[in-house]
Amino acid sequence: MKIIANDEQYILNHCTKYLARKNTDSRHNFGQYESEDPRARICEAWRFPIVDSYAGIGDEDHYAFNRVTFVYHADAANPPNQVGVIGTFANLYEPISLLPVRFLDATTDYLAVSVRIPKGRAYRYKFIVDDKVILDPINPQRIFEANGQWWSRFFTNLCTQPLSFETWEFSILERLVDHIMPFRTDTGQDFLQFFYNYLDKQQKTNQYAFAYRLDQPIGITNFIDNLVAREERHHLIDYKICLRIIGQIIRRRMPDVEPAKAPKEIFIDLYGEMASGKVNDWDVTQYGDPAYFLQILRRHAFTGAFSHPKYGGNVGALGWRYLADRFKDSEGATLFDWSRSIEPPLGVNPDYRG
Amino acid sequence: MPMQTDFDVVIIGSGTGGAPIAHELVKQQKSVLVLEKGPLFRTQSQTPNELSDFKRDELYADGAEKRITFPSAANAHNAFFSSHVEPDINDEPHIYRDANGQDRVTIEGYTAQVVGGGTQIYGGVSLRFTQRDLTLQTFNAGRTDLAATDPSGEIEREARDWPLLYTELEKYYCKAEKLVGINGQQGNQLKPFTENDTYQQPLPPNAISRYAHDGMVYIGQGAGPGDSDVLPYRTPLAVITEDHPPSGRRMIPVPDGAKTSYVNRFGDPIGLKSSTWISLLAPLYDERNLEIRANCVVTQLVATGTRITEVRYLDPSGREQSVRGKIVVVACSAIESIRLLKLSSELDPLGFGKLINQQNDLLGKYFLTHAFGGASSIMPDRSDKTRSLDADWATDYCATDDFLQAKHLWAGSVIYNNTSDQALPISLGRTHSAADLDTLWHGFANDFGLIGQGMVDFLDNDMGRGLSVSFMANQVPQKNNRIELHPTVRDKWNRPVAYIIKSWHQHDRYLMDTLAMECANILRAGDNSTHDYKVSGFGGVYNGENGIARIANHILGGARFGDDAGDSVLDPDCRVWGFENLYVTDGAFMPTSGGANPTLTIQANSFRVADKIGGRL
Repeated sequence: MKIIANDEQYILNHCTKYLARKNTDSRHNFGQYESEDPRARICEAWRFPIVDSYAGIGDEDHYAFNRVTFVYHADAANPPNQVGVIGTFANLYEPISLLPVRFLDATTDYLAVSVRIPKGRAYRYKFIVDDKVILDPINPQRIFEANGQWWSRFFTNLCTQPLSFETWEFSILERLVDHIMPFRTDTGQDFLQFFYNYLDKQQKTNQYAFAYRLDQPIGITNFIDNLVAREERHHLIDYKICLRIIGQIIRRRMPDVEPAKAPKEIFIDLYGEMASGKVNDWDVTQYGDPAYFLQILRRHAFTGAFSHPKYGGNVGALGWRYLADRFKDSEGATLFDWSRSIEPPLGVNPDYRG
Repeated sequence: MPMQTDFDVVIIGSGTGGAPIAHELVKQQKSVLVLEKGPLFRTQSQTPNELSDFKRDELYADGAEKRITFPSAANAHNAFFSSHVEPDINDEPHIYRDANGQDRVTIEGYTAQVVGGGTQIYGGVSLRFTQRDLTLQTFNAGRTDLAATDPSGEIEREARDWPLLYTELEKYYCKAEKLVGINGQQGNQLKPFTENDTYQQPLPPNAISRYAHDGMVYIGQGAGPGDSDVLPYRTPLAVITEDHPPSGRRMIPVPDGAKTSYVNRFGDPIGLKSSTWISLLAPLYDERNLEIRANCVVTQLVATGTRITEVRYLDPSGREQSVRGKIVVVACSAIESIRLLKLSSELDPLGFGKLINQQNDLLGKYFLTHAFGGASSIMPDRSDKTRSLDADWATDYCATDDFLQAKHLWAGSVIYNNTSDQALPISLGRTHSAADLDTLWHGFANDFGLIGQGMVDFLDNDMGRGLSVSFMANQVPQKNNRIELHPTVRDKWNRPVAYIIKSWHQHDRYLMDTLAMECANILRAGDNSTHDYKVSGFGGVYNGENGIARIANHILGGARFGDDAGDSVLDPDCRVWGFENLYVTDGAFMPTSGGANPTLTIQANSFRVADKIGGRL
C-alpha cells in the first residue's frame, strides 16, 4: 500500500459533477436503492471510491495496480475535524487520513486520499469520522461479513472474485452467454483453441493471470458479475429473478440433468421463446417480460466481450484478438489492429499510458 | 492571497465560443477569468502522474445504462447512455416537446461539460461556411421556385444575411485554422482562402474512403461553374499531424499513430486533437493574467443600469461566489447560454429582464440546428477502420448557386464521408440501427437474430465494411423554434431547465430528402466499374424515431446577431443590444446555421469579437 500525493484538480474533477447539488429528489434511483436512500440523490454514486489507472513514474509493475481515491463529502454546516479510512487494502487497524481538498486556497467540502492498490481483488473498508466508525455514505456497495458487521466494499480492475452471483447462477449465465456470443460457434471455438494452444506456458500464465475459469468464454460472465455489482447495480435483480426462473424451467424440461449441463437445444429453444416474449412455464408474476431480460443480457454480453479487459471481460483481449484474427487482408495482415492504439503491456502503443 | 474577484473579462464557457477570446485577450495582457461548469481534464503530459482523464475506452464514450426518472416525461424509465463528460440528464435534463405535444428528456443538444467544451469530444471537422451561407436572404429574395416546399414564403421572410461578409470573416478563419491546429487541403474547396498555409498536411486516408472519393469525383463531373468538375478535398480536421508551434505541441514520432478511431466522442489523452483547451488555453495556463475556474457553474448575471456588474456562480462545493468583469462574455453553448440569460431575467425581471427584452421578444427564438442526414453502404471489401480520424473526403458541389437553383433549394451543404464511425466493436453494436444519442442500443436490443452464428454473421458483415456519407445543411429559421425555461422541471441546483421547442420546416424535409439522395448517389458511384453500388439506406434525420429532437450537437441561434436592434438580439459585434458590456459568442449568434459543421466558424467569429473587445478595454 502506498499513498499517492493528492492531485486536487483531479479530485474536484471527479467530485463536483456527481456530488455537488442542492436538489434532494431521489433522481438516481433506477431500482438499486430502497426508497429514501440518500445515495439516490447522488449522481453515479458507484464511481466512489474512484478506481483509476495507476502509472507511478519509475514503477515497473505499475500495471498491476490501481489508483483508488477515497472521498468524504463533508456537511458544510458541521465539518468533521478528522476523517480516516481503514480497510483490507492496508493494515486494517491503522487509519489513513483523508486530507482537505482545496480550491483557490480555501477548503472545499471534500476530503480525499489516493492510494495505490493491487488490481484483481475486492476490498472492504470503513471511514472513521472524528472517532466514529461509519460506512462510506456515498458508495452503494456494502457487504455483510460473517462476523456480523457491515462494510463498504470496492473492487479494483480485472477483479475475478465472485461479487454478485452464486456458483449455480454463474453456470446458467455462462450457458446463456455461450449461446449469444460467437465464442462457442465452430468458428469461435477454433479460434480459442488455436490461440490457447499457441501460447507457451509463461504466456498462458500472463494472459490468463486474472481468469479464474478458462471454460468461461473470455470472461463475459465475470464482466457481468462486476457490472451488476457496480455501474448497473439496478439490473442485479433482473439476473437474480430470471436466472432462478430459467433454472426452474430447465429442471422441469430435463428433470434428470443439472440445468447448466442441459443440452444446447434446450437453451436454443428457451432463447427463441424469450425473444418472442412467451415462454412456457415462465412465471410472469415474478418477472413480466422475458424478452426484456434477454435484451439486457445481450447488451451486457456484447459489451463484456469487447470492452477494455480492465472491466473483467475480454480476458487477455481475447474478444479483440478474435476480431483481429478473423478479419485479415489477402496478405494475412489484420484488419482490426486494436493493439496499436492500446497501452502496453496489453497493447503496443508507444504514446498512450492507459 | 485573497481570491481575485475583479477582471477585465469574465468568460463563461471554455469551448469554441469562449476560448479564442480568452486566448487573444490574455495575449493582450488583459486579466481574464474563464468560468467552466465542467472539470479540467488534462492530457497525459499535463498531470503529475502522466495519466489523462481521457481514455481509449469505449465505455467512456457511452457509459453504463442509466434511466430517465422524471415522472412527467413521456420517456420516463427509458434507458440512456451518456459520455463521462456529458451532463447527467437526471440532474440537468434538456426537455423537448415531441410531435404529440408531450415532453421528453433528451441527451441531444448537449456538447460536453469540460474545459474545452464540445471540442474535447468532437470529431474535429473544421470546415468554413461558404460565402453564400452568409447571404441567404439576398440569395432567396424574389425566388419563385421554392413555392412547392415553402408555400407561405417563410424562407424569403425569415432568411437573414449575416451582418458581415465572408471577406471580413476570412482573416479570422485563417487565424483559427493556424492557431487551433487543423490538417486539411485547401485545393478543390469552393471557398476562397487568402493565405495558403493555414492547414497542416493530412495523414493518408483510410482505405475504405476511396469509395467515397471515387463517388465524389464521378458525381462532381461538370457540377461546377461553367460545367467545370468539382473535385473532393481532404476534410479539414482539428487534429495536428506535425509539430504545432502556436500551442507548443510536438507530433508523435510516427504520425500515423494519430489514427486510432478513438476520436469522435472521445477526448484525446495525448493531446493531438486540437481542443480549445489544448490549443488555446493550456499554452497560456501559466500566465498570471489567465485564470480558469473549472467545476464552477454560473447562476446569474446581475445588471446595474446597462452594465453587467456581477457574475454569480457556485464553486466546486456548491457555495455561492461572485466576480466582476469589465466585459462579460457568455459562451456556454447556445441552449445553456439562452438559459442563463433567461434565468438572469427571471431572477431580476425589472433590471436584467427588462433590459434584455426591451428591443424585441427574440431571445431564445430562431433556435437552429442543422438539417442533416446521409447514406450508408456495406462495401465489398474490408478495411481496418480503426486506422482513422473522423472524416476523410469532402466535396462542395452541393453548395454552388447553380446546384441550389437547379434543385430548388434555399441553401447548400458540404458532403463528407465518415470514417471512424462503427470502427470499434462496441460502437458497432450500440449504433446498430440507431442513429442518435437517445436511441443507442435500441436497434441491437431489438435485433434478436444477433446470437451465435447470427452474431458471427453480423460482425463478418459489418466490421470494417460500413461506409457512410453525410450532409450538413442550413435549417430554415423559424421563430417558433425556440428555447424557453421549462415551467416545472428543475436541475440539481433547483433551477428551471431548458425547454426546446422545435420542428422541421416543410422545405427542411425536402432539402434533407434531396441531399440524402446525393449522398446515396455518391456511394452508388463509388464502384468504379458499374457506378451502381448497392446503398443500404439513406435519408434525413427528420425520418428518425425521434427526428424532431435531432440536433447533431450543433446548437445554434436563439440570440441572432444583426444590424437592426429590432430584429436581432446581438449587434454585429455580438454584444447584446442594450447592454454596454455583455457579449454572446457561442453558436447562439448565428442567424442561419451554415452548410457545414459550425465549430470553425464560431472560433473564427470569436477571434473577430476578441479584436473588438480588446479595442474597448
